[in-house]
Amino acid sequence: MPSYMLLIYDNPANWASVSPEDMQKALEKYMAWGGKLRSSGAYLASHKLADDVGKVMRGRGQARVTDGPYSETKEILGGYFLVKAANYNEAVEYARGCPSLEFGGTVEVRQVDPMTEAA
Amino acid sequence: MNLVASPEVLVDHLFRSRAGQMVSYLTRLLGPEHLDLAEEAVQEALLKALQNWPYAGVPENPAGWLFRVARNAALDAIRHRTMAGEKNTEFATQRLRDAEAVVKDKSDDRLEEQLRDDELQMVLMCCHPALSSEARVALSLKTVGGFSTREIARAFLSDERTIAQRLVRAKRQIRESSIAFELPGGDDLALRLESALAVIYLMFNEGYAAQSGEDLVRHDLCGEALRLGQLLAGSSVCTPQVDALVALMAFQAARLAARVDASGELVLLEDQDRAQWDRGLIALGFRYFARCAAGRQISSYHVQAAIAATHARATTGGDIHWQTILELYDQLMDLSPSPIVALNRAVVIAKLQGPEAALGALRPFLEDSSLRNYYLLPAVRGNLLLEIGDREAAADCFRQALERPCSEPEKRFLQRKLKECEQL
Repeated sequence: MPSYMLLIYDNPANWASVSPEDMQKALEKYMAWGGKLRSSGAYLASHKLADDVGKVMRGRGQARVTDGPYSETKEILGGYFLVKAANYNEAVEYARGCPSLEFGGTVEVRQVDPMTEAA
Repeated sequence: MNLVASPEVLVDHLFRSRAGQMVSYLTRLLGPEHLDLAEEAVQEALLKALQNWPYAGVPENPAGWLFRVARNAALDAIRHRTMAGEKNTEFATQRLRDAEAVVKDKSDDRLEEQLRDDELQMVLMCCHPALSSEARVALSLKTVGGFSTREIARAFLSDERTIAQRLVRAKRQIRESSIAFELPGGDDLALRLESALAVIYLMFNEGYAAQSGEDLVRHDLCGEALRLGQLLAGSSVCTPQVDALVALMAFQAARLAARVDASGELVLLEDQDRAQWDRGLIALGFRYFARCAAGRQISSYHVQAAIAATHARATTGGDIHWQTILELYDQLMDLSPSPIVALNRAVVIAKLQGPEAALGALRPFLEDSSLRNYYLLPAVRGNLLLEIGDREAAADCFRQALERPCSEPEKRFLQRKLKECEQL
């Protein structure tokens, strides 16, 4: 079965004045979503990326290294989930439950190229 | 790190209750002049949890994780302020560095005790007499209660900006008056405790005034007031007055759910389904009520708790001991006379001596300006007039009551009454 990356973009500024109670409610939604992915067997891995903008390397030969491309935009790539799904439709259904969508974030769904998974 | 993926491991209200503890803990280390910094560090820790736990799972000791991250965030922030030229930050920095930031596990009683002390001192700081009484309530809810500015605004039917400004002013006042984070002694303690009880009482009543169907945040006020009351009652500063207030709040809170029926309509105390009363809270009420009798001095909280206890003792609506309640209201009028107490007393007089006598008892308060916006005065009068058959005057009263601020179920109740007057 192919694997899909669910890349989750969030805007941390959205949470600046949210109450502890509401933050916990949001967190519980995330945990319930992640729990469902796990119990359905779709879950493969998930990681939170560090809060900085990262580094971007460009060029031929000697690469030029700059700070990440996201420093000007408010949304940052917060982390990803790697899931197994039959096809894009199913992967999108998994992503649909991601609470970030409810809180103004974005989820990008990308299939891992099956050729790289052949082994 | 041991991680658990299940959402059930998060204790209800963990963030809210730990937020108050963390702000108090950091304020002790940083000093009250850095209260805002403590709040920001806590917000950051909660945000970090929200950003990390979905991917990595909930850590084995969530509270310990939050405390550690909040302390580090505070250290970072104070370092920035020092670099930006702020003076006198060495002490705060040193104390943060030295602090055992780890809530090791739940069995660490000594640490939990320290956290309770921190919260207690925070409440007493927020209730400093130098602050306006409105600021005391808002600040207590924000710092100890873990309420957001928006939630406080919603709870007090105010707007967010007003509350935000009130909080900013209060924090400035704390800095300018050099209000300390400490357990005051002697007369100062008595004064501060009295103020804290008034704040808790106000918090509770504000929440109690809300009806179901309205914002639930307002009911959370009752829960927080009860929690703060128990915090004081379980501490070294407890007096019989504290116990009396906790008893009063527990009795009242026990009836919260029974005040509206299944269709959201208001149910008067004597018609309430007593099976719906919260037995646990009633028992809690009686426990504290027994404790408050230990004092020699009788406070208004004592008398109010005694009234609530009398209601709680009645097994049916017809079983209420109105004579005892009237005597208690007489006592309350002696201790702390107010038009609202008089109004409640008049309702009891109606039960014992009939509507005419009650109308007579109300007469001196009809022109009282403090009751001008209080819908219950005309509502009660309307009921009494209806009882003696003066339908026109009763209808006038209900119309008057409807023009005053009240909740939706209350409004519907008054409209039903008004229709009753017009139909008969």
